[in-house]
Amino acid sequence: MAHVANNSSGIPLKTFTADDDANLREALKRCSAATYEAAAQFRKTGNTEHLPAIVLGIIERYVEPDLRAKLKDTDDDLRIIEDLGIDSLTMMEIVILVEDVLQMTINNEELRHLRTVGDVKTFIECKVSGLPLPKPTKFMPIEQIMSVMPIQPPFLFLGEASVNAHGANAKYKISGQEFFLQGHFKDNPVLPASIMLEALGQLAVLFLLEGQVGEAGRVVDHRTIFFTSCEGVRCHRVCKPGDVLSLSIKPKRLKSPLATFEGQIRVGQEKAAIAEEITLTFAFAEEVAQPAPEAQPAPATTAGQSQAAVNA
Amino acid sequence: MRKVYITGVGFITSIGNDAIAVTESLRELRHGMVQYPPFQKPEVPVKVAAPIKDFQTATTDAEDWIFPARYNIRRETLRGMAPHGIYAYCAMLQAVEDAKLTEADWSNPDTGLYAASAGSPFLLGYHLERMRKLGVMRCPPLGIVASISGTVNFNLVSQFKIKGASTGFSSACASSAHALGFAYDEIARGRQNRMFVIGAEDGNVESILPFAGMRALSLQTDPAIASRPFDVARDGFVGTGGATVLVLESEEEVQRRGPKVYCEVAGWGQASDGYNVAISHPEGHGLRLAITNALKYSDTTAEQVDYVNAHATSTPIGDISEARALKSIFGQSPTRPAVSSTKALTGHGLSLAGAMEAGFCALAMKEGFMPGSAHITKLDPACEGLNIIRATLPHRPNVVLSNSSGFGGANVVLVFKGAN
Repeated sequence: MAHVANNSSGIPLKTFTADDDANLREALKRCSAATYEAAAQFRKTGNTEHLPAIVLGIIERYVEPDLRAKLKDTDDDLRIIEDLGIDSLTMMEIVILVEDVLQMTINNEELRHLRTVGDVKTFIECKVSGLPLPKPTKFMPIEQIMSVMPIQPPFLFLGEASVNAHGANAKYKISGQEFFLQGHFKDNPVLPASIMLEALGQLAVLFLLEGQVGEAGRVVDHRTIFFTSCEGVRCHRVCKPGDVLSLSIKPKRLKSPLATFEGQIRVGQEKAAIAEEITLTFAFAEEVAQPAPEAQPAPATTAGQSQAAVNA
Repeated sequence: MRKVYITGVGFITSIGNDAIAVTESLRELRHGMVQYPPFQKPEVPVKVAAPIKDFQTATTDAEDWIFPARYNIRRETLRGMAPHGIYAYCAMLQAVEDAKLTEADWSNPDTGLYAASAGSPFLLGYHLERMRKLGVMRCPPLGIVASISGTVNFNLVSQFKIKGASTGFSSACASSAHALGFAYDEIARGRQNRMFVIGAEDGNVESILPFAGMRALSLQTDPAIASRPFDVARDGFVGTGGATVLVLESEEEVQRRGPKVYCEVAGWGQASDGYNVAISHPEGHGLRLAITNALKYSDTTAEQVDYVNAHATSTPIGDISEARALKSIFGQSPTRPAVSSTKALTGHGLSLAGAMEAGFCALAMKEGFMPGSAHITKLDPACEGLNIIRATLPHRPNVVLSNSSGFGGANVVLVFKGAN
């Protein structure tokens, strides 16, 4: 990140007059003192290190007091609408104040994609520094996941999911109706460890299909994704019907034809499983010869192999 | 046609911020006028207004507003509201409590809401000035819904999750009387079981002072005599704001729920002067026809009417035309009916007036009194022949009319009857 903006990122600094200071104080009168301090420093020096404090301070001012504690966790995955109760109109109020404080203009189209606190912070930093904007976090309900995934129920273990450039998150609630729970185990339904690993693998597939892999415009062909290996898989908690799994994966290496991820599963605050490495093979669409439609059935991640790896 | 009853009231007015305070002011003829601080400047010829007490809504930033501690209003509710939106919201809370309604009672397809206000010239002016100075993209996103006419129904329908009929009415000083009349129709015709009727106004510099331009405001400096309808020395009206909410319910709902009943809404009538954009017909032709219609549609004879809550705003022309209309209906009877204008106490609430005065009639019928026409030192000779009561009478009226007249010569007359 640029430390002194007018040196490294070329932001022209305008003089910060006493009038500007008075306007800034008035604009931020309902924000914390720290927000004003950060904003004044930014306006004087152009130092973009102050931006997160300014943006968070402005968001906080519009969050109902009983929800403000959530912002203290500085969790960039906090969702603006669902977690903070901010609707699109309040989002506009936030934008107007940000525009006023940072002396910038944000258009409506740019706003539509900002779903998390992290999205907003990244967006403002890129705007101020003149950097290209990253693709925002994409939130996918189950219907949308099913429409892009080669894996389908009853073997799909992702509920809602979110995907951005840095990884993917998903939830899966163990309903108790999963067919394999009848026998795993007798009178004692427990989610198989192999299925936990499968679910992480499926989230990695979703990332390859929906995330930003390779250069812009290149699309991963879903028929080319298969499991190859995994390392360092450990289970910490037995998962049973009613548990909601919070799955997350992050890419470690992405270079066609291999993609390696680290993954973990939590249930609430409890660690359920981790995988240090899950590796899939994949290819881009234009690298694949177009086969006849029925030539190759849509594959799942090769669950058999992953199961073997877990059991090994 | 089904019978319709008033079962709940809520008031934020210049003479009290709940039904108990308002009843006391009406009985004791206590007025709400003051030398209004924003008018005390050499360039402002008007000095007196009847503001709302215990609320501070003078800044354009709703988060600065102060209201009585019993009302806890969240920012997301506040941000879409004008000052009179807050008054209406608080009066609505009073009304649902008074009628002993639960959310299940009011949030359903059989319950609607009709409202009237002139919008908020105060906020509209501020937002337009901001748009011109800073550009449209720096205007608050809810500036429009907070300031245009309709703001009361937009806000309350969404905040109270109203599912039935909703709209706003715009006939200036007859607006909320129209709202009540059409709300009555919805229930009487079986389309709705319950209706909220709301009249509200900011009652601040921007909503009152422009009437000085048309020479309609009193220039009196003494708050005790500035508003004196039917007095020979009256010189214009005194502006006010606030809100009134009335709950109207069908007889089936009254039987089912068993709430207390203020009175029956027996019917209404309207007619227009077709005469002048801002001046009432000198002989009161439109109002006379509106009274005739109201009596006809409520199966009432002129002889049955006990009390008329007059529109009389304390303007020289308007009061006389109303007096002529009343005389043409009730003849030269010195004893019946009793006539008074409660605007002597409240000032003129513009779009609020019809609902507020209907609420006063409901209180009078439930508590058993007729409020006097205050501040008359010498009755205008043109009003002689009417039984204009100078003091409050301790009798329960059984048949009551409430008159309202608005710009363009719109006249509305509401008829209320004892609930028994």
